Amino acid sequence: MSALRSYGLLIRWQALRYKWMLPMTMVVQALFALGIVAGYPLLFPEIDRTTILFLATGAPAISLIMMGLVAVPQVVAQGKSEGSVEYIRSLPIPRLAFLAADLSVWTAIVLPGVVFAVAIGALRFGLPLSVSPLVVPAFVLVALTASCVGYALASVAPPMVSGIVSQVLIVFVLMFSPLSFPAERLPDWLRAIHSVLPIQAMGETIRGSLATTSFPLSSGAFLLLGAWCAGSLVLALAALNRRA
Amino acid sequence: MLLSISDLTKVYRGGTRANDGVSLSVEEGQVFGLLGHNGAGKTTLVSQVVGLLRPTSGAIAIDGRDAVADPGYARRVCSIQPQAQVPITGVTPRQAIDLVGRLRGAPRSLVRRRMDRFVEALQIGEWLDVDGERISSGVKRLTSFCMATVSPGRVVILDEPTNDVDPVRRRLLWTQVRAVADEGSAVLLVTHNVLEAERAVDRLAILDHGRVIAEGTPAELKTGLADELRLELVLEPGVELGAAEVPAFARRTTTAGNRLIATVAPDDAGAAVRWAGDLRIANRIEEYSLVPATLEDVYVQLVGRADADATAAAANATDSAAREGDDVRAA
Ligand SMILES: Nc1ncnc2c1ncn2[C@@H]1O[C@H](COP(=O)(O)OP(=O)(O)OP(=O)(O)O)[C@@H](O)[C@H]1O
Ligand SMILES: [Mg+2]
Repeated sequence: MSALRSYGLLIRWQALRYKWMLPMTMVVQALFALGIVAGYPLLFPEIDRTTILFLATGAPAISLIMMGLVAVPQVVAQGKSEGSVEYIRSLPIPRLAFLAADLSVWTAIVLPGVVFAVAIGALRFGLPLSVSPLVVPAFVLVALTASCVGYALASVAPPMVSGIVSQVLIVFVLMFSPLSFPAERLPDWLRAIHSVLPIQAMGETIRGSLATTSFPLSSGAFLLLGAWCAGSLVLALAALNRRA
Repeated sequence: MLLSISDLTKVYRGGTRANDGVSLSVEEGQVFGLLGHNGAGKTTLVSQVVGLLRPTSGAIAIDGRDAVADPGYARRVCSIQPQAQVPITGVTPRQAIDLVGRLRGAPRSLVRRRMDRFVEALQIGEWLDVDGERISSGVKRLTSFCMATVSPGRVVILDEPTNDVDPVRRRLLWTQVRAVADEGSAVLLVTHNVLEAERAVDRLAILDHGRVIAEGTPAELKTGLADELRLELVLEPGVELGAAEVPAFARRTTTAGNRLIATVAPDDAGAAVRWAGDLRIANRIEEYSLVPATLEDVYVQLVGRADADATAAAANATDSAAREGDDVRAA
């Protein structure tokens, strides 16, 4: 049984299992983007062009991160408690093929809704976006990293714990992460934390690939995301391999 | 021996000794039954065979190869129907069986052929294309059986395959279990269905608190009881039979709900029937039966004896602890 064949079959299986999620996540992400793009200006009535750009490009980033860090762990934790993870574990499938299939499906589910988020922002503010040629790899990398981190969280922690951590992450991502505002507004210690966490790098990567004229696309962010992606994969793989 | 388990012990984190020195082996073509009370350690045992749990000590060899050291090998050569319902949300039984069969490496045409065969034999064709959320527990269980056998391992493990399944399909299922063994797999079958298992298994072991308390063919296990009879009384509602009212020939009496079950030697059969008849006339019982002992009686008796031993051991321990206490005080 080749790993590639397993991968293909598992993609089919997971796509069938999660098929109901595609329309739902698209709706949720669209609402989310609307909420950010329409809601934040209420908080800051005096809105300048930079703020607007931050909001419009922050919305897709936030929606990708929320999907990866909140929705993915929830569904994975559910799969763990209902025994489907255990069942897959009993089949003669390369672990990496299973992880790769699951993450591919997740990335595919999460990405289409983001297009909405970008469109809503652009429409609301009539923004002239300048899209980088790297936009596709950039979005895929962010979606993949977010899904990987969420996946690793749910694989390693018991369902209760990953649920609570997810809740905390929502607040942290929405309020204390430089996604809809520049990092300079954060206190130094929080900026130091964000320089190693993947959240800011995700925001910068999305922003840089959508508005190339206003924001730089940094290779440092790409590398940091790559590292988080790889680290989470290793953790998830170890959890999948563990025999109690 | 294809599957050979020796001196297997599993202590969970937290200290539960779920398997305690279990040894047993299963040959190709054999159906090996594993019986035992809830929590006896059956699922723990089979989970170690397929490499989902790591044994605390002991060995598992499949075809002479160490399955503990190489769980990947264990997964390739074993297929398992887990006790928990396999989640088939979002997929139909046809898709689930097909995907598992091919993930286990069987070519598409073979998977299709075997699926057709099982589906027809178990009469679940009408649900084959219904979404997983909308099929009944019994059909799910049968689907799970097909998933384990469509591309069977050399060792096929079935953990309570008859749960939720109706009596007619249970019979069909037992026939298919037998067929899977006849095709050459070693079948390790966990079940609570002692009476039906008696006809389906070649050998069986009874597990009690993690230990094997009996092992052999159904006939061997019944030898001690070969000529004994089982007397079963169904009490009228509200009636109780005190221990003093039960004649001495009725041995090893157990009660379950409104039933009283006892073993009776053949010589006492006449007396037993007269006693039961009198109770019947006095309207204290609804009905009675007197039949040859079954494997279920052996099971109940063995487990009862093991419990009594355990209680006695515990009592001894308390006694000696109490005596030691006295000694200390005396000193
Ligand atoms: N993950 C676990 N952690 C700790 N203890 C466990 C775990 N799983 C099972 N046990 C304990 O191990 C013992 C054996 O459990 P097991 O599930 O193997 O029993 P079983 O014979 O399959 O029971 P049943 O007939 O109810 O399915 C029980 O005392 C149970 O409480
Ligand atoms: Mg069990």
